[in-house]
Amino acid sequence: MSIDLDRSDDNAVAGLPGYRDDAALLEVDDLRVEFHTRDGIARAVNGVDLRLTDGQTVAVVGESGSGKSVTAQAIMGILEEPPARVAGGEIRYRGVNLLTLSADQRRRIRANHIAMVFQDALSALNPVWTVGFQLSELFRTHRGMSRKDAKRRSIELLDMVRIPAAAQRVNEYPHQFSGGMRQRVMIAMALALDPKVLIADEPTTALDVTVQAQIMRLLAEIQQERHMGMILITHDLGVVADVADDITVMYAGRAVEQAGVIDTFATPAHPYTKALLRSIPRLDVKGQQLEVIAGLPPTLTDIPPGCAFAPRCTYAQDICRTDTPTLRTVSDGRAAACHFAKEVMTDV
Amino acid sequence: MGRYVIRRLLQAVLTLFFVLFLLHYLLSLAIQVNGNPARTFFGDKPVTAEQLAAVEAKFGTDDPCLDTIGDPCLGMFGKRMGDWLTLDFGTTFHGYSVTEQIAQAVPPTLILFAISTAVWVLIGITAGVLAAMKRGRFFDYLVRTGTTFTVAVPTFLLLVITQQLVGVSLGNWARSTFGRDSFLGIIFQPSYDHDHPFLSLLVPGILLGAFGIAGITRLSRTSMLENLRADFVRTAKAKGLRPRRVTVVHTLRNSLIPVITLIGFAMADALGGTVITEGIYSIPGMGGLAFSATRDNDLTMVIAIVAILSVSFMLVTLIIDLLYAVLDPRIRYE
Amino acid sequence: MSSDINERVEENIDEPAPQRAAGLWRDAIRDLRKRPTVIISLLVIIAVLAIGFFPSLFTGTNPKACDISLNKAPAAPGHPFGFSHEGCDYYAQTIYGAGPSIQLSLMVVVGTLIIGGLLGILAGFYGGWLDVVFSRAVDVFNSIPFLLGAILLLTMFRDLSIPFLSTRLQAIIPAVITLIIFGWTSTMRLVRASVIEARNLDYVQAARSLGASNRRLMFRHILPNAIAPVVSLIPLSIAGMISVEATLSFLGLGVRKPEITWGLMIDDATKWFVNGYPMLLLIPSAFLIATVLAFVLLGDALRDALDPKLR
Repeated sequence: MSIDLDRSDDNAVAGLPGYRDDAALLEVDDLRVEFHTRDGIARAVNGVDLRLTDGQTVAVVGESGSGKSVTAQAIMGILEEPPARVAGGEIRYRGVNLLTLSADQRRRIRANHIAMVFQDALSALNPVWTVGFQLSELFRTHRGMSRKDAKRRSIELLDMVRIPAAAQRVNEYPHQFSGGMRQRVMIAMALALDPKVLIADEPTTALDVTVQAQIMRLLAEIQQERHMGMILITHDLGVVADVADDITVMYAGRAVEQAGVIDTFATPAHPYTKALLRSIPRLDVKGQQLEVIAGLPPTLTDIPPGCAFAPRCTYAQDICRTDTPTLRTVSDGRAAACHFAKEVMTDV
Repeated sequence: MGRYVIRRLLQAVLTLFFVLFLLHYLLSLAIQVNGNPARTFFGDKPVTAEQLAAVEAKFGTDDPCLDTIGDPCLGMFGKRMGDWLTLDFGTTFHGYSVTEQIAQAVPPTLILFAISTAVWVLIGITAGVLAAMKRGRFFDYLVRTGTTFTVAVPTFLLLVITQQLVGVSLGNWARSTFGRDSFLGIIFQPSYDHDHPFLSLLVPGILLGAFGIAGITRLSRTSMLENLRADFVRTAKAKGLRPRRVTVVHTLRNSLIPVITLIGFAMADALGGTVITEGIYSIPGMGGLAFSATRDNDLTMVIAIVAILSVSFMLVTLIIDLLYAVLDPRIRYE
Repeated sequence: MSSDINERVEENIDEPAPQRAAGLWRDAIRDLRKRPTVIISLLVIIAVLAIGFFPSLFTGTNPKACDISLNKAPAAPGHPFGFSHEGCDYYAQTIYGAGPSIQLSLMVVVGTLIIGGLLGILAGFYGGWLDVVFSRAVDVFNSIPFLLGAILLLTMFRDLSIPFLSTRLQAIIPAVITLIIFGWTSTMRLVRASVIEARNLDYVQAARSLGASNRRLMFRHILPNAIAPVVSLIPLSIAGMISVEATLSFLGLGVRKPEITWGLMIDDATKWFVNGYPMLLLIPSAFLIATVLAFVLLGDALRDALDPKLR
């Protein structure tokens, strides 16, 4: 599959302020996103840092409501504002702060440079247009291609994601595809314009396990081929272990641990991470109760002072309820937001 | 798609048959219960058996089945269907051909419906869609209040008041200020002007649009609201498509699908409404015919009109159902 | 041993159904209590119902005691609304005019609920041939536009008199029957759709697998949930029927003389509207609009409150 699509000048990032060829692919700095609701201001993202380089896969892990999807949407620039509001921080793509760009400039960066794959392909695809139409849209909008050319490229794309009989299926509707095939279509849509960053928001959650594996394998292959950076949002730690290089664990809108996957899984440095890992059912342990994390995540309009995880934490002490821990380096290449990270790490 | 069409067509034919039978049965029942209308033709004058029989034959009410209440009169049904298929709808009590009268009455009604359909689509759908896009703001509030208003004020009342205020008072002022043949003078008329069919029907046509517009506006708004938050709209944005394309090609396109079916319902409301509108405004359309026929108790005419309007309605519903399948591919593959 | 478990499971399965429905209702009522439009509407409705069922509480004058020499006379002490074009006390007429419309509408709504509801439950629950037959019947009746059908039927049987009925009932029964005949279809469709949706819910399947009889399933499990969309439509239907009745009276087909309704009053008053006596039209119109509006606002609020999607 040819990778050298020519990007029209319009979609080039090179001319934008702050651009540096050698800057990191994607950097998120102290991102804050609020939602203005009837019940108050929900702080969905509370100061999150993220770093992505070419070819790297960063997994973002957390419960529903941890802020991972909101972070992703903020990076893409598709948050509904209002009620959402980016209250602070920077999102830099090769040095260009996306938050300072105009709406139109951001629009042109979407799909061209940063693309997203969504969770449920059945609802994420428009049911009344053919798959070919929805793929061709990308080429016609961003590359100005003719209908015929766009269709040809669409068929090539479907081929690339290994959908059989692509030339016929390009004229079919989303509901005529199986779940796994639909997800491939979504992936094809995301990769159509050869973006450098791919954000996959729970790409396999709605699929069966065997199909999951196929999809993840496909993503991994394509990423390697193109040297793309991938942000994988998931709550499935098994998938993380398989594909990710680095992991960011989020809780209540904050990143509470960031490190390489292997280190994190071996010796988690945050009580939440530790509890998450412990709650994975293990095949070799029988006859015991499954571990759960007691309690519920805080409502985002009402986050208690101090560490948000303190009410559910087995390591919590008084200081945790007054002093909000920040993400600090705990050892080489590892950071955790916990006053007792060292203890957590050494505890077995 | 083909199977869907065929199935729908067969359903329509079956329903049509039953509707016509139902109408026929009602008419027979009415004659059986009320007595033979041929008798009323003579008023209070004394009548011989032969005269009666002759008139009965003329009106087609000489079948003995009409003497028993409840008899479905299948023979008459067959004959009536035969007649109707050749567009012979019988004669009114005054001796006119029903078919001729109806034929003359069709154009004004068609114009009226064209205007009201335009109102539904141009005003109803547009208002609903815009209200959804400006949710919570003044326009939205205005639209919602407007729809409540059209539902709360019985349309006949609206027609009567408008006719008096706009047709008579405002019209008189317009005619005295600008002349009889001025634009405003023609529009603000309390009744039909056959020299200016379209213009004089503008006001009653818009009011006829009030029958059913509330539903259309509300559904457009609700549908649009749902789709604005839909996942596939989010995907469209994530694809970096231009905002207008997202709105039109994705959000709007999907939102309008259910509205199409509602136009069918609005039409049903308006078909009944046309009797009232044309009655009040003395418009010589099909509704007006029905209006005077009910006053005169001319069952032949009433039944013919109801039959024709019902059949037209079924046709429209059929077209709408097929259109729905064209617009929403998920339906086609059921 | 297993029967214990079954019992416990049965209990738990019975629990969710009423609880689930009760939760929705409780929330809805709580929501509605706070809204001023709802409260005002309710007050208006209660007032109108009182006027409709107990007119003598509101006026001592006989609306049918008319003196033609007083025709269109203006308001006078003891006659706040003046006199009609036949010399009848307009206030008394307005008061007595409420009854037939209200009673007619209530009877029609109850009738359509029973018939439409029953057919809808049966069709939705049993499916198969029953559903096909009933749904075709709905199609047939729906093909005749509501008002047209009503006009047709009422014209046909206009002079029919039903023996043994009081004058009030005589006046409204033909219209009641006609409106039910052409009105049952919408209730049927709604109930059928709700029943079909409820039929497939997990807790119903669970109850069925425990051997609950069909009747128990229908009435104890499905009905409470299926009924919510219908209930929210009741005030709107009443509003609609009042409107339709007024329209039919205006056409001379609705409630028959000598009973009075606002529709009839409006019909009589039309020609005087721009000819010097606007109040004759405006007074019954105001009452009509206020009544219909109250039901509409209540119905809208109820529907919004009961719609689980909007919560």
